[in-house]
Amino acid sequence: MSEKIYAWLLRLYPSHFREAYGDEALQLFRDRARDEKGFFPSLRLWLDLLSDLAISVLREYRYVQPELIGASAQQRLDGMPSFYVLRNESPRPGALLFGGVLSLAALVTLSIFLSHAGNYTGQETAASGQPQGHSGVLQQQGLQSKHQDAAGAMHRAMGEDVKLDAATRQRVIAGNYAGQEATASGQPQGHSGVPQQQAPQSKHQDAASATRRAAGKDTKLDAAARQRVIAKAVEYLKQYYIDAEVAQQTADALLTHEKNGDDNAATDSAAFAELLTRQMNDASHDKQLIMVYQTVKLPEEPPGPAPEEIAQFRRELKRNNCTFEKVGVLPHNIGYLKLNSFPPPRVCQAKAAAAMASLNGADAIIFDLRDNHGGAADMVALLATYLFDHPTHLNDFYDRGENSTEQLWTRPPVPGNKLADKPAYVLISATSFSAAEGFSYDLKMLQRATIVGETTSGRSHRGVPHRIDDHFMILVPGMKVINPISKTNWEGAGVEPDVKVKATDALETAEKLAQGKLQKK
Amino acid sequence: MPKRKLDPLPSAAFQILLSLVDEDLHGYGIMRHVADQTDGRMRLGPGTLYSSIQTLLEEKFIEEVGQREDTKLGHERRRYYRLTPTGRKLARSEAQRLADLLRVARAKKILRGDYV
Repeated sequence: MSEKIYAWLLRLYPSHFREAYGDEALQLFRDRARDEKGFFPSLRLWLDLLSDLAISVLREYRYVQPELIGASAQQRLDGMPSFYVLRNESPRPGALLFGGVLSLAALVTLSIFLSHAGNYTGQETAASGQPQGHSGVLQQQGLQSKHQDAAGAMHRAMGEDVKLDAATRQRVIAGNYAGQEATASGQPQGHSGVPQQQAPQSKHQDAASATRRAAGKDTKLDAAARQRVIAKAVEYLKQYYIDAEVAQQTADALLTHEKNGDDNAATDSAAFAELLTRQMNDASHDKQLIMVYQTVKLPEEPPGPAPEEIAQFRRELKRNNCTFEKVGVLPHNIGYLKLNSFPPPRVCQAKAAAAMASLNGADAIIFDLRDNHGGAADMVALLATYLFDHPTHLNDFYDRGENSTEQLWTRPPVPGNKLADKPAYVLISATSFSAAEGFSYDLKMLQRATIVGETTSGRSHRGVPHRIDDHFMILVPGMKVINPISKTNWEGAGVEPDVKVKATDALETAEKLAQGKLQKK
Repeated sequence: MPKRKLDPLPSAAFQILLSLVDEDLHGYGIMRHVADQTDGRMRLGPGTLYSSIQTLLEEKFIEEVGQREDTKLGHERRRYYRLTPTGRKLARSEAQRLADLLRVARAKKILRGDYV
C-alpha cells in the first residue's frame, strides 16, 4: 500500500526524472521500508520522503525550464528555420496544487512532531532520529562528530590515512587535525577515540540510538566519579606530559580546584570535561592538554589499522603521486619540487628518489611546502639528505613517558648527488604544518636553506589520548621536538621565514633570489 | 540538460563523492553510507539522491559501472556508480576548502575542545 502511495507521489516529478530514476527511487523506497520497520522508523521514513519530495520536485522543475530555452537557442544557430515539438514539461495545475498542499502538510506534521518530541527526554528523541538540540552532552557529541566527519572526510579524500608503524608513529611530528592524531594513536579513519560502528548496516540506526540511550544514563556525575577522573588525569599528567614542572603545576591546580569545591557544580560529564580542560589550560597555557568526554564507549585498546586500510592508504598515495604535486625545472635551471605532505618512505621512497634524481642537474632547488600539512619525519630526513654531503643531525624527539630521546639524522649521502652544495629555498605559508615546519625549521637552523613566505602555524607537539574510563580520556602531549642548535622548537611561535612575503608571492621571490645568487657566481 | 551548478558544491553531492571513495555503490548503498558517515544526520531521500547523482554523472564526477544484483538485498538488479579521477579531485579540493575553513574557525577559537 505505502509503495503505491509513493509511486503515485513520484508522478509529481518531471517525466525525464521519472524515466531516468523512477524505478530506482521506488527500489530505494522498498529497501528503506524493508529495513526501517516499526512506528518511529516508518514515521521518520515518511517525513524524510515528504520533505525530500517538497525540496527536490521544485528543483527538478527549475532545471527543466532553462533546458527548453537552451535547446531552442542552440538549434537556431544552425540557420535553418524549423519547428520543434518540445514535450510539455510543466506540471498540471492539479499536480502543483497537490504538491503545495502536501508540502504544507509535511511541514505542519514535522513541526508538530518536533515540538511534541521536545517534551520527551533524550532517549526518545534519539530513537526518533533527532539527536540535536538536547542535553549538552548530545550537543557536544554532535559537535565532535561534525569535526570527525570533516576530518575523516578530508583525510579519506586526500589519501592521508597515514597508518604508521610504531616507530614511525612515534616520530610523526605534531598533526593539527584529528585524522593525524587519531592515526598516530592507532585508530583508523579519523574517528578519534570513537569506536567504529560495527553494527551491520541494517541495524545502524537502532544501534546508534541504543548507544545514545545507554550513554544518556552516564552523563551525570557525583563527587566520587569526579574524584576518580581527576586522580587518573593527575597520574597521566605526571607520567607523560612533556614538561615535568608544568605537569606538576597543572596537576596541583586540578587538585586545588577539586579541594576548593570548584568542580561541585559540574554534575554533567561533558561540562565537567570542559571545566577540567579550562583548568589545565589556565595552569599550563598548553591548548593541547584536553579532557575529552565521549558518550560512545571508548575501546579498551585502540584498534590498529586493518590490513585493507593500509592497502587503501598505499593505493591512495600511488594514485596521488605520493603528494609530489609538481617536480620540474624552472627557467635559469632552478629545480622546483612541490610536496603536499611527507609520506612515509616505506611507501614512497622510490617516488622521492626519482623526484630528486630528476632535479639532480639543477643549479638551485626550491622546495614548495606552502600546501604541505605534515607527515612522517623519516621523509623529512630522506629529502634533507640530498642537501648535505655528510649525515647531519636534524632534530631530537624527546618522549617524556619513556624518558627517551630519539635523534633524527639525514641518511648517508646519495651516490652521484650534486645538490649538496646548491642554493636551496623552502617556501612556507601560514598553513604549512608539523613535518613541513620541521623540515623548514631544521634547514633554517642549519643555515642550509633560505626560508621564504609566511610564518607557519606553530605546531610541534600534540596530545596523545590516554583512556581514563569508558567515557573519559585525556589528551596529553608526551613528545616534543628539540632542535640540537636552538635547543627548542617552533611550538606556538611557528617558523619565521628568512624572507617574509605573502605566500602567493613566495615562489616568485625565491626564483628571483636564486637567479641573483646564481648570477653572482 | 542545463548545467547544474556544483560550485559551491552542495553538501549532498560532497557526501555522495565521499561515500564512493572506497567502493562502487548503488543508490541505496550510497544513502546508507552517507547516513553512516554523518552519524545519521543526513538521510538522502530518493529525489535529492538521484538528482545529485544525475548532476554528478553529467559533470563526469561519477560514472555508471553497469547493473548487477546486490545479493544482500534480494535479486533486483541495481545500477552501480563509481568515482572518476576528476570526482576524486573535486572531493579533495572541497575537503581542502573545509580544512582551511576549520583552520580559520580554530584560529578564532570558536571550537570547544580544540583537539581536531
